[in-house]
Amino acid sequence: MSSVKRSTENVTRRDFLKVSAVAGASALLAACAPGAAEPAANMPDLTSGNAIPLDDLIAAAKTEGQLTTIALPHDWANYGEIIETFKTKYGLTVNELNPDAGSADELAAIEANKDSKGPQAPDVIDVGVGHTANAMAKGLVAKYKVATWDSIEMKDPDGYWWAEYYGALAFEVSKPAIENSPQDWEDLLKPEYKGKVAMAGDVLKSNQSVMTVYAAGLSRAGGDKTKAAEMGLQFWKEVNDAGNFIPVIADQGKIAQGETPLVIEWDYLALANRDSLAGNPEIEIVVPKTGVIAGPYAGGISAYAPHPYAARLWWEFVMSDEGQLLYLKGYAHPIRFNDMAKRGVIPADLAAKLPPAESYANATFLTVEELQAATTYITENWRSVVFGE
Amino acid sequence: MGPVKEAHTTQPNGGAPKARPRLNAILDWLALVPFFLFALMFLVLPSISIFFRSFEAVDGSFTFENIIAIFTVRDFVNAYKSSLSISLITAIGGAVFGFLLAYAVVLGGLPRALRTFMVTFSGVASNFAGVPLAFAFIATMGNAGLVTRWIEGITGVDIHAQGFSIYTITGLSIVYMYFQFPLMVLIMAPALDGLRREWREACENLGGTSWHYWRYVAFPILLPSLLGTTILLFGNAFGAYATAYAFSGSFINLVPILIGAQMQGDVLFNPGLGNALALGMIIIMGVSMLGYISMQRRAARWTR
Repeated sequence: MSSVKRSTENVTRRDFLKVSAVAGASALLAACAPGAAEPAANMPDLTSGNAIPLDDLIAAAKTEGQLTTIALPHDWANYGEIIETFKTKYGLTVNELNPDAGSADELAAIEANKDSKGPQAPDVIDVGVGHTANAMAKGLVAKYKVATWDSIEMKDPDGYWWAEYYGALAFEVSKPAIENSPQDWEDLLKPEYKGKVAMAGDVLKSNQSVMTVYAAGLSRAGGDKTKAAEMGLQFWKEVNDAGNFIPVIADQGKIAQGETPLVIEWDYLALANRDSLAGNPEIEIVVPKTGVIAGPYAGGISAYAPHPYAARLWWEFVMSDEGQLLYLKGYAHPIRFNDMAKRGVIPADLAAKLPPAESYANATFLTVEELQAATTYITENWRSVVFGE
Repeated sequence: MGPVKEAHTTQPNGGAPKARPRLNAILDWLALVPFFLFALMFLVLPSISIFFRSFEAVDGSFTFENIIAIFTVRDFVNAYKSSLSISLITAIGGAVFGFLLAYAVVLGGLPRALRTFMVTFSGVASNFAGVPLAFAFIATMGNAGLVTRWIEGITGVDIHAQGFSIYTITGLSIVYMYFQFPLMVLIMAPALDGLRREWREACENLGGTSWHYWRYVAFPILLPSLLGTTILLFGNAFGAYATAYAFSGSFINLVPILIGAQMQGDVLFNPGLGNALALGMIIIMGVSMLGYISMQRRAARWTR
């Protein structure tokens, strides 16, 4: 069973897609809990949550000398290089806990080490946005607004979490098999794509596929979030009725073999596939013109961080232009992408490997509540609407 | 395969030495301890846990909702229907086809080597399941499959454009058949070996026709094995998860797939509901086992 999961869903290893699973539970908790706890009280100069001048922060972090991270695999969103750069730049050691942990595990690690300042207590976390409600409800995160706060497009207004990077759903097109790449969702209904369109996950199991349904509906509804889920199901019913939909989970093997020539997948996974397939087959990545949906990850600082200054320095680095560009190198879209594109700080060679920047300009972000409502609606009605059962 | 041979071979043991019966009995029971321990840990305890957890809501409180959902939510009802139908079809289909195949290689007067080949193949094929099997079928009969392209190359017809798809319940049945019928061959071959030439000769000497032989001799002898294997094939298909999941994700609605989605998905998470769905499967398997036992009793009545 686990081998199945691994081979078909290895992309979910870091729970990129776990967002909505816990959203339900966490929203519930958020509703019941008496509001987020204040950060640890024994660090008075940290409680305001305002950005600390970088020089002071570096000095304070150096006295701590160390940062403890969790759930940052080196081959995910270029974390290997990000960690390495951080280490050499500030001369701190980084203690990396369980790189393969999931979002829920990260929160559990904070909770379990509340009273411990030892090496098992993480300073910083990187979780699916759906988990943020849970983290806040349990008072596991401390607020902090980095220097680049204003240009972060998705964040908690009080600074308890912020998105660091996201993926957008894109069409991953195998080139010899498909002559004309589709440019927008409605194109997927064309007869030329008969028996060619596949999802990269399973609607009942992966958030990626739920978002695939949602994004198509968002495109059709002209951006109206309230109608997107319903219209998305209708859209996929039409794709299925037209015989265009292949009900199989596309992965690298099936793309290479040619079974699934047109796959809808998070762009960074698609781009990574393009690199590892290395021209066999040739892959073109197209971000649809409308219905561009973002799947973001959220960063935060443990309210019980043993190294609170190093933790803040980490985020100052990661959320700076330099850190954000390192994400981009790993094909994950930094959350400040639009800001950086506007200011022209994205190197041309890096940009050339990605779909055009304009494609991402109107990427839609969902709130935790919207995500949850859409997921419930789509999973409950998927079979009856799309397959007419 | 058992009862026939047992009926003959166990009789001489009636007069076995009865020395130290108590010690022997203790040793006999002792030898069974690992089995009972295994059954306890991997069958009884999990079943008990499934039963109790079926009544657990997401927050851990007691609820009947999960059980009610099985009977009321259309997706769940449909999943049971398709799970039952795919298991019945492939069990009966596999049994008939496997039996005929076993008959052909054992009693059909084919070269001995073919039999060896068939039995070896069946041993391998009956264990060929899960991801490799699913991928093998996709790679041969899928949209870009070898066979698909081959047919297209020869006849110029793209069977998928004509509406054919392997990603259907029929397609999955074909995939299941690939491990179903070899299992039947594997189990029926020794049973067919048990049919003695003398019985047929005796039947013929008494003026019986081939029909009489099969109706009154061979079939009653084989019936317990046939029933037993068919129920085994049913369970084999009913509980199959990896093959179905690797084949078509949750796009084909089956109970094990739904359970998986509730337990380990990134989207749904309600282990209680997953347990309730599993409880339903256990009950169905339990009922079919009871049915099997009573049929087996009747079928094997003559052996006593």
